[in-house]
Amino acid sequence: MLATVLLASGCSGENAGNKNTDGEQRKEIITIDLVNEPSSLDPQMQWNPDSYYVYRNIYDNLLTRNSQNEIVGSVATDWKYLSDTEVEFTIRDDIVFHDGVRLTPSDVAYSVKRITNPEFGSPQLGQFSKILHAEVTGENTVKLTTDGPYPVLLPQLVKLSVVPRHYVEEIGKDQFNLQPMGSGPYRFVEWRRGVSVTLERNDEYWGAKGAFPMAIFRAVPDSSTRIADLRSGMADLVVSIDPDQAGQLTYAAGVQQLPVLTERIAYLRLNVERPPLSDVRLRQAIAHAIDKQLIIDALLGGVSQPANIMLSEFHFGWMEESDYLEYDPEKARRLIAESGAVGQQKIEFVISQVYDPRIIQAIQQMLTDVGLNVSINLLDMSTYLNVTRGEINERPDMSYGRWSCACQDADGVLYPLLHSTSQWSGTNDPVFDSLTEDGRRTLDAAERMQAYEKVHQRIAMNVPLVPLFQMAIIYGASDHLQWTPTPSEDMFLNKMSWSQYNNK
Amino acid sequence: MYGFVLRRVAQAIVAILGVTTLVFFVQRLTGDPTLLLLPETATQADVDAMRHTLGLDRPMIAQYASYLWDILHLDFGRSYTQFVPVGQLIIPRIPYTLALTGCALVIALGIGVPVGIVLALYRDHKATSVLMGIVIAAQSMPTFWSGILFMLIFAVTLEWLPASGAAGFESIILPSVALGLLSMATFARVTRMAVIDELSKHYVRTAKAKGISTFRLITHHLLRNASIPIITVAALEISNLLAGAVIVETVFAWPGLGLLTIQSIVSRDFMVVQSIVLIAAFITVFLSLFADLLYAAVDPRIRLETST
Repeated sequence: MLATVLLASGCSGENAGNKNTDGEQRKEIITIDLVNEPSSLDPQMQWNPDSYYVYRNIYDNLLTRNSQNEIVGSVATDWKYLSDTEVEFTIRDDIVFHDGVRLTPSDVAYSVKRITNPEFGSPQLGQFSKILHAEVTGENTVKLTTDGPYPVLLPQLVKLSVVPRHYVEEIGKDQFNLQPMGSGPYRFVEWRRGVSVTLERNDEYWGAKGAFPMAIFRAVPDSSTRIADLRSGMADLVVSIDPDQAGQLTYAAGVQQLPVLTERIAYLRLNVERPPLSDVRLRQAIAHAIDKQLIIDALLGGVSQPANIMLSEFHFGWMEESDYLEYDPEKARRLIAESGAVGQQKIEFVISQVYDPRIIQAIQQMLTDVGLNVSINLLDMSTYLNVTRGEINERPDMSYGRWSCACQDADGVLYPLLHSTSQWSGTNDPVFDSLTEDGRRTLDAAERMQAYEKVHQRIAMNVPLVPLFQMAIIYGASDHLQWTPTPSEDMFLNKMSWSQYNNK
Repeated sequence: MYGFVLRRVAQAIVAILGVTTLVFFVQRLTGDPTLLLLPETATQADVDAMRHTLGLDRPMIAQYASYLWDILHLDFGRSYTQFVPVGQLIIPRIPYTLALTGCALVIALGIGVPVGIVLALYRDHKATSVLMGIVIAAQSMPTFWSGILFMLIFAVTLEWLPASGAAGFESIILPSVALGLLSMATFARVTRMAVIDELSKHYVRTAKAKGISTFRLITHHLLRNASIPIITVAALEISNLLAGAVIVETVFAWPGLGLLTIQSIVSRDFMVVQSIVLIAAFITVFLSLFADLLYAAVDPRIRLETST
């Protein structure tokens, strides 16, 4: 029986043909090690990185970002605002799905309606819930209506994949996840549960065609194993390498590390509504006590960057901010001394196991060095999310987090973290409420920038949040792979190529 | 015999039901998967909507009742994270875990039993303590470390074997060796004890007096009699190997049940975890029953009616 099982597992094995089949001149398959297998290949059902890396190659999105990170057309060639709440998109007429059926405005409208239908239960609903209607208005046009002026509509639509209406309606939601079909540069071939997903090049693609006839995405949870795969030639590209391990790649032959700064900001969230951190001097002391550059150099491999405001340069609303609180441990000690007895109270520092414990311990040590009494409370991610989003008076004194709205707009960061109605906010401040509302109320960019400038200044003064780092992620790749990773954490196969092999 | 089997099966069902109930409630007491499924920017309305979609807004007892009702109808629910029936996730993984633990058991027995025999036969020889030292050292290496070490040697440096994945027979060699090492020393020790025990028996003296070769003495006489404790330990070790597979599968990206278990626990995919626990309880309970039945087959002196 064992022999049968072995034979079965062996025979069904993925094509080990990652190695060159015809010497160094030809390499047909690119193999990519992800952390986990995709949760779903229905682009409207799940949106975690491992799903997104794969399905984004199967589908086209309404809009996309170019190499300068600007929003540009993809399925939509053009768009114009008919009013503050209505945008009309012109849809390309030369896109066909993988079954040969043409992509029409009706597919676009259907995709919007599908993801915004609460019955459908998409985890992404919150990102599109401001869209009230989607209607086909002409042969090549679709109009979207929002429930008010919504400046983040276009950045959100970068995440909207267009699904084929005829196909989804015919086979249903469950089968669509198992047999996904889109109009993207690669078509779905096979999903071996727990092992890999295989895609093949769509030779009829309307845009830039992929360089690799075939791509295999594998699920490899252990980062040491991903590195071993890369070094042994089993994988050509691997994701999520921690900075310590990236050092191994520097000295290994035939491989390269590809770091990229993302829009993800690491920060401390302070509970300003209850002692001890209701004392602003202690909050300022925390901001002054942390040597961000030291943590980056010593623990983050020097590739992340200190963040002075809660945004990265990729966000709308980012600005060179001069008012931030610099590293100044002496000033921190002075502020703590001024605060008196409250400065000696225990500060509960809540973190989750997914965050690098070394960073947490370094922060705790730096705060202890200036005289604060900080105690770490390590929780699993689900409990962490429940505790940090609980009733404001029950939320921890201080918690560590990393934030990305994947929309590259201040509204996606500052509103949820500061507005009193948001479960993430650690402050009940009417000024923050009105400023973050101003930022989302108008389409006027200058007006929005003004509002966000005031928010940044107020954060530096009131310190409900302590921005720490703009996080980098590190990919490992074969020396032969040519690819520039982006801050949006996209992985477009048709933007990669081999530098040496014949790509035909 | 039949009475014995019936009683044991009834006990097994109670045990499995107990484990399932415990896991159902303990999981739910440790937290809720909803927030893990949603983006950071999700509002409370989004969270409530998702809880409703998953059925987690119903009272826990109601959830439990419908869970039991569904299993009676062989419906094990749907995965919260992968949106497919649990069976579609679990069933393809079972052959991989069976193959891995099977190979690991063969390796552990294949090395452990001969080593145990050598240790017993030459127990007064000083070299045997060195041999036992090597075996114990192999068992003492944590798998997540020995696994990476094997990968660096056999995949990265020598390029003989793939580092990870399930791409054919060669892929199973490194994980099963890493896993097999865990049980090897146990088998060596048990075999040594059993063989030493048998060596003092009269039939061994008689056999030697008849002039049969040492090899024949071991294979035809000693091993058959010494096999009872080895079978007992093997049944227990299969459970240990299944537990060890969780780590080995994660290290080698071997797509078995262990890897799925870890991922499902982390993402609080209740339905998947419950079903895996159900399978694990089933395997553990029935393996020990199977071992009892095997005793009777190996040693006709054991009569199951009298042993209960």
